[in-house]
Amino acid sequence: MVIDPYTLIAAVTVGGVLVGGGVHFIPVGGAPAAIATATGVGTGTAMLAAGSGMTGLITAAALTGQAPWLILASGAVGSMLMICITMLVGNLVYVFGVGCVPVSAKVDTDPITKLPQEKFVTPGTEGHGLPTVCYVSGTIGGALGGIGGGLVYWALYGALANPIFTLANRTDLSAAMVAGIFALSVFFVNAVIASYNIGGTIEGFHDPKFKRIPRGIVACLIASLVAGIFSLFLLPGFLGGI
Amino acid sequence: MDIVTGLAVVSLMGAAATIAGAAEDLESDIGSMSNPNSQVQLAPQMGNLHRIFNKAVSGEPVAFGTWAGIAGSVALILLPTGFGPLFSIATGAFIAALVHAVFATTSHLGRTTGSSRFEQPLFLDVVTQHLGPIAAHGFIVTFCMVGLSYLMWTALGHPFPLPMLAVMWGITIGAVGSSTGDVHYGAEREYQQYPFGAGIPVAIHGDITRMAELGARNSIDVVNFCAKYGGPLTGFCFGLIVFLSFWTTIVFGATGGVIAGIVIILLLIYLNLRIEIFARENYGEYKQEKMEEL
Repeated sequence: MVIDPYTLIAAVTVGGVLVGGGVHFIPVGGAPAAIATATGVGTGTAMLAAGSGMTGLITAAALTGQAPWLILASGAVGSMLMICITMLVGNLVYVFGVGCVPVSAKVDTDPITKLPQEKFVTPGTEGHGLPTVCYVSGTIGGALGGIGGGLVYWALYGALANPIFTLANRTDLSAAMVAGIFALSVFFVNAVIASYNIGGTIEGFHDPKFKRIPRGIVACLIASLVAGIFSLFLLPGFLGGI
Repeated sequence: MDIVTGLAVVSLMGAAATIAGAAEDLESDIGSMSNPNSQVQLAPQMGNLHRIFNKAVSGEPVAFGTWAGIAGSVALILLPTGFGPLFSIATGAFIAALVHAVFATTSHLGRTTGSSRFEQPLFLDVVTQHLGPIAAHGFIVTFCMVGLSYLMWTALGHPFPLPMLAVMWGITIGAVGSSTGDVHYGAEREYQQYPFGAGIPVAIHGDITRMAELGARNSIDVVNFCAKYGGPLTGFCFGLIVFLSFWTTIVFGATGGVIAGIVIILLLIYLNLRIEIFARENYGEYKQEKMEEL
């Protein structure tokens, strides 16, 4: 499929917003979670989002040349698989390695399972592990991030492989490589912006911090729009690009 | 590619990923990388001087993306020279291990110097004892990562070049190790003088366990413990991610693979719920008075 420059800008912008929005869903507790003092995955927001996004990008790129919806779906599934398996194994460590119950300190009952939370929280902590609501929220975040990353990759690959712009010596392989690196960069840019908005830790869509998402989306929209405009310089012969 | 060959390749990738995952977590335990290191850094400020290696000047995903990228780039340069893939990948991993050792030395010296105002000493025997295991585990990780990327690149025909695949899997393995096995180090091994079966209250942050079974504890004692649970689980986690990401597409095709992936995700959500319920039923609620006794 041939991608025109306007579609490319739109795809990078929407992809970036999806990534930024998705990061808000991923339950990350940072350093406190790594020592079972806070609920969520025990790593940084941008790092976990990037890890799941990379898997999504690799699985999306494996279907290069297929229908667009299939590339996006493959990216979403790859990203969700990574984050779901990581959260599950993380819970195995919390339950059997640390001996604590996966529980949230931000809500009295789990909005999905209706299980009580407060009595299972270790006093002096803000919860630990990944209860079902965090798990489901993380899965949604993984899906959004995977679709966003896949969208950026698909659009830029389509534009670079476009015979109008393609130089004689440019192959599809180099298009895939440039598109992959650019999608990776857009992923990191939006993941970092979202982590600034979150400010350290978030449990998922039930966390009061989740209300900050509109501000994060606006910031990601602006940054992705700029990235989308700059992506035009990657197109051969366009505005003096390479 | 026929389905049997595809499955063989994906299984081999999964096996390499499992070894890499376990080694990655153990490397981060020996070098005290990632988030649990916040407590190692905090301990001297609370008056608890220690002999734990401390090199967390970078996020684990970015660091392992870099090591895997170096190894992948060197391997890519050596591949056309006729040395064969095994030698090329091993040489790439060796070069990455050398850079890794330099990074570990400078970051540990820098980190410890930063704690000098809290009178944290720099133990040179700690530096020399830990560098070997850190570089060796790093070698295993990068060798396996570039190996599985090479399999994806050649056998599965992935469009991304070898170094880029290595970087991307390196970032992923860092995120996985940081999210799973490191919790075993941070929430259990670092606070072993406190009773098993609870999170770490804020009031005891920085009061890390500094005595080993014999003498002062160092990071080799840490990895001896974490190799029994956190490390293998991290390997299992990363192996499963790599295997399932491609197994579904090879067995069920592109569209079927997406559907199979969604079914697996739903099963994982249910499995997580069962683990949560198991913990609730077997561990019960916390009692305030017991924690206050701490």
